[in-house]
Amino acid sequence: MDQLLQYTLTGLAVGMIYALIALGFALIWKSSRVANLALGQLVLISSWFAYSTLVDFKLPIWAGMILTILFAIFLGWMIERFTLRPMIGQPILSLIAVTLGIGYFLEGIVTMAWPISIARLPLLFPQEPVTIGTAVISQEYLWAAGISIVLFILLSLFFKYHKMGIAMRASADDQLAVQACAVPITSIFSMSWIFACVVAAIGGILISSIGGITNALVETGFKSFSVVILGGLDSFIGCMVAGPIIGLCENVGAGYLTPLLGPGIKELIPFVIIIIVMLIRPYGLFGEERIERI
Amino acid sequence: MSLPCGIRNYSYGTDTAIIRTKTQWVLFILFLVLLSTMPFYLPRSGLEVMNLMGITIVSIVGLNILMGYCGQLSIGHAGFMAVGAYTTAILSNSLGLPFLASLILSGLSAGLVGLLFGMPSLRVKGFYLAITTIAAQFIIIWILNHWTDVTRGAMGMRVPIAEIGPLKLDSETDQFYLIMSIAALSVFFATNLARGRIGRAFIAVRDNDLAAEVMGINVFAYKLLAFFLGCFFAGIAGSLYAQYRGNITPEDFTFVQSILYIGILIIGGLGTAIGPILGVVFIRLLEQLVLFLSPMIEQVFSGLPTGFATGLSPMIFGLVMIIFLIFEPHGLAHRWQLFKASYRLWPFSY
Repeated sequence: MDQLLQYTLTGLAVGMIYALIALGFALIWKSSRVANLALGQLVLISSWFAYSTLVDFKLPIWAGMILTILFAIFLGWMIERFTLRPMIGQPILSLIAVTLGIGYFLEGIVTMAWPISIARLPLLFPQEPVTIGTAVISQEYLWAAGISIVLFILLSLFFKYHKMGIAMRASADDQLAVQACAVPITSIFSMSWIFACVVAAIGGILISSIGGITNALVETGFKSFSVVILGGLDSFIGCMVAGPIIGLCENVGAGYLTPLLGPGIKELIPFVIIIIVMLIRPYGLFGEERIERI
Repeated sequence: MSLPCGIRNYSYGTDTAIIRTKTQWVLFILFLVLLSTMPFYLPRSGLEVMNLMGITIVSIVGLNILMGYCGQLSIGHAGFMAVGAYTTAILSNSLGLPFLASLILSGLSAGLVGLLFGMPSLRVKGFYLAITTIAAQFIIIWILNHWTDVTRGAMGMRVPIAEIGPLKLDSETDQFYLIMSIAALSVFFATNLARGRIGRAFIAVRDNDLAAEVMGINVFAYKLLAFFLGCFFAGIAGSLYAQYRGNITPEDFTFVQSILYIGILIIGGLGTAIGPILGVVFIRLLEQLVLFLSPMIEQVFSGLPTGFATGLSPMIFGLVMIIFLIFEPHGLAHRWQLFKASYRLWPFSY
């Protein structure tokens, strides 16, 4: 039974990070209806960038973090400006394919610039494990979960009260009306990509401070698709609810199924969840029920 | 525009023929002769590239049916190829089936797996379907990696080389004839499929599924058929790849490969007969060029990072894919059409 508490806590914490990365996806989908399949590669490249600033250039942690976020802002702006903007109005298939191309390109850059392909971030958080009830959990998980929640609250407030946030929500609703109100829609798309990249970068740093940097981070990106699918594509609250659920299923499931089915079952669970959700409730828990069916 | 100047249709037979004029016949026969004599003048490395191209063409033809004609985005094509490859490996290792039988069975098994993962297309399309096929890719590769009793996991499986009757196709030339004839057959089959009732139904489903349903097309059945056919070709390609390589691991069929296939199809031209061929030739030649050039670049510029050579080809490929999507979304096939149209009218192209 003490095992269950342990799995639950780790699962919830990791799930919060998935939710954070998924938030980046939902942001872009909400404002421009572009499905960003390069999420995993964005996570990967910004984790490596953080690694470079901290290890290769030996900057203090705060400077490294600021540089990484600046890099993510730049990356988001570049991607939107030079690949997505010329594609406005194209069919969804092309939009998905172009993000795949971006992912491939970024992966090439990562292989080129960081050929070591596996590394550990320096310690960002204190190391002493914390005991909660019968479970022992290392502090990194708690920090990661805390930062995710704070960011989520900040983003929600931004979307609720800030002028830009309101404009972004409005453009998700009706692009023509927003343009008629003299809101520059291109800068909204830019902003949403920048936000998404920053969120992905923070999520990347958090998750690689727990598990190290490997190419498996790309798969982490795909795992957060299961979060978006389960939560509903255009719902922030859906992300925040579905993230911990996915993390919970993954860790609890892995804890109890590994003796039965062998190691590695953990990587499979989010993808099985995707298929199940697709068959039962494709619009997710909180998504709009306007599924384009036929 | 599709007919050369001065050619008219006088019967349904000529209307439906693929090759219309004497010039086209001459060019076609010349091409066939050129292709079939390739082993005599190409070096071994050239033949290897040709064989790889042939296998990829079979696979892309399948993806073209699924994605180009029927509009169902599949980002798990490498996974379906893996199903075919492992079916061949298992059948020929443990049951000792002859190659042609296991080739067909591989296609069928990949097709059935495709049907399974095509089921969600009953309710979803677009991005949702893309995610489902990504999940399919990861689930298939996971099973191959972890079902070690049958697939031997990451160790990979040995596959005996193809034998047809008494012939053992163990040289690069034999393989060339095998792969090219299957590639030609599948291109021929897919071209005619696309022109018939099924292909037209696929196109109707792609362009407007509601209208297609109103016209009496069973949308779900045709979508599933597209999944079956697309994955059938993927399975055939996987089977060819398995016996050609002689040793397969799950690493041969990664997610990155799936993206590569989508890119090839987009660069070639979605929903065209010639697109897959043009795309495959373009990308495989580009790969060879990068392989050839990157050591030179490394010599000239000494300060390059160590991963330069391995990272260059995905980088260039991603870039080419983005550029094509932005500037030439109809792919090389469209360019080819424009070229044909302009030389037919030349020199009076007003």
